[in-house]
Amino acid sequence: MNNAQLTSGRSKQTHCRVSDIMTCVMARQIKDGETVFHGVSSHIPMVAMMLAKAIHAPNMVYLDIPGGVNPNPGKLSGYSSAGSDLFRGASSVFSLQEIFDLSMRGKLNVAFLSGIQFDFYGNVNASVIGDYRKPKVRMPGGAGSAVLIPTADKAVIWRTKHDKRTFVPKVDFVTARGNIHKIVTPLCVFGYRNGHLVLETVHPSSSLEEVKENTGFDLIYESVEYTQTPTVEELRYLMKIDPGDLRSQEYST
Amino acid sequence: MSKLISIMEAASLIKDGDMVGLGGNVLHRAPMAMIRELIRQNKRYLRVVKTAGAMDIDMLCFGGCVSSVDAGFISYETEFGLAAHYRKAVEAGEVQANEHACYTVICALRAAQMGAPFMPVKGLRESDLLKVADYFKIVPDPFSGEAVTVVRALNPDAAIIHVQEADVMGNARILGPKYEDVLLSRAAEKVIITAEKIVSTTKASYNPESIDIPSFLVSAVVHVPFGSSPCSCHSLYDIDRRNIETFKNLTGRDGLTNYLAAYERKDRWGNNGRAGDIR
Repeated sequence: MNNAQLTSGRSKQTHCRVSDIMTCVMARQIKDGETVFHGVSSHIPMVAMMLAKAIHAPNMVYLDIPGGVNPNPGKLSGYSSAGSDLFRGASSVFSLQEIFDLSMRGKLNVAFLSGIQFDFYGNVNASVIGDYRKPKVRMPGGAGSAVLIPTADKAVIWRTKHDKRTFVPKVDFVTARGNIHKIVTPLCVFGYRNGHLVLETVHPSSSLEEVKENTGFDLIYESVEYTQTPTVEELRYLMKIDPGDLRSQEYST
Repeated sequence: MSKLISIMEAASLIKDGDMVGLGGNVLHRAPMAMIRELIRQNKRYLRVVKTAGAMDIDMLCFGGCVSSVDAGFISYETEFGLAAHYRKAVEAGEVQANEHACYTVICALRAAQMGAPFMPVKGLRESDLLKVADYFKIVPDPFSGEAVTVVRALNPDAAIIHVQEADVMGNARILGPKYEDVLLSRAAEKVIITAEKIVSTTKASYNPESIDIPSFLVSAVVHVPFGSSPCSCHSLYDIDRRNIETFKNLTGRDGLTNYLAAYERKDRWGNNGRAGDIR
């Protein structure tokens, strides 16, 4: 698809929900057999990891903060992605400390992380808006980002907001940088090459224009494609894995 | 020797200015009854340590008990949102946020566990945290000469850990996720255990391998059923949503005082009417 089409035309499948598109894009970053981790406040990665495991990555290793390896929780907790439900049906226990150690020695394949601000150079801010010592806004903090983004094979970052306050010319604070595999937003997917973000795909629910208008830096892209829409199979499994639609919760906060 | 004491006595073991490590993770198995008692006792300048905190640290900040927080993440996660009191206190300059990367809290506690002054941390190489934090340094590896980041030890004066079962000596058992609590118990100068249930010492010794924290590390044991509530406690209860929402809507110091007063009897005397009683 060429850029003119992307700019003017809207896909036929614009009825796809952004939360489903993002969840499926994130699930597709996981290859079978990989070790994969998500942390706190991570319902979208939680559902994406379960989706990948159900469809194309049955041998992936699901790792989480409570330490349940390959949990089979049934009903998912709506308020936390670090609780006892991720212990249910687990095959063994591998603690958070050990997961970090695993990443430090180069054996964590995928880590899902988030942030509040991002810039062209792939800097991620999850710490403060304004001055670090006397911040205008103190944010929750980067959790594992500062050590996992540099050490995991693939750091997949997601953010449910895409506007000029989120994708900025320069982040206020660099919590972590570099080695970003993808940044998945409600509008598009960025890759990271030669030290900067590269626009890779635009969701069929959005357009290149919309991405441009909502990004605070110039977009670099070669051939931009539409993000693959969720397949019928993916949507069917999403209904089964996440009937409570926890994957959409973060958009309202 | 029994170490079973009342929650009032246990809280009095924590001094103003102490570095205090808290057990649990976000809204799970946080030592909430002790948090409430620390606020009732008007503790000041606590230096709090935890990988990922939520209501516990937010409430201590609301109570004006905190001077600094060493943590990787402070929030109630997605549904219950940001830790407003922590945030406000940091933005006002009343509380110093010492941001870590969760793992660097773990490494700093590992250093304390080993009696070492610092610990190398692989991975933390490019972050502004290295510029603003005095607890991170980049030094040459003495063997290869390559740059390596180290984190200064965090040596908590006390760890407060809520568990499902303990005996009166302090042998404590954690059911379900242990988070960083076992490490924390080894890193702290003294350990205060609050327990849902006090089991007999004979029963605890049936399965010594299931004891996570041995009694010789423990200074005090407090019997507090629902000691994590309104946070969750694995296998016993989930969060009390309505209570968390009530807390999040409180305004002013009076609001907090009334909220804590409603818990006072249960926290202090919930175990059958007598402080430190065994059922």
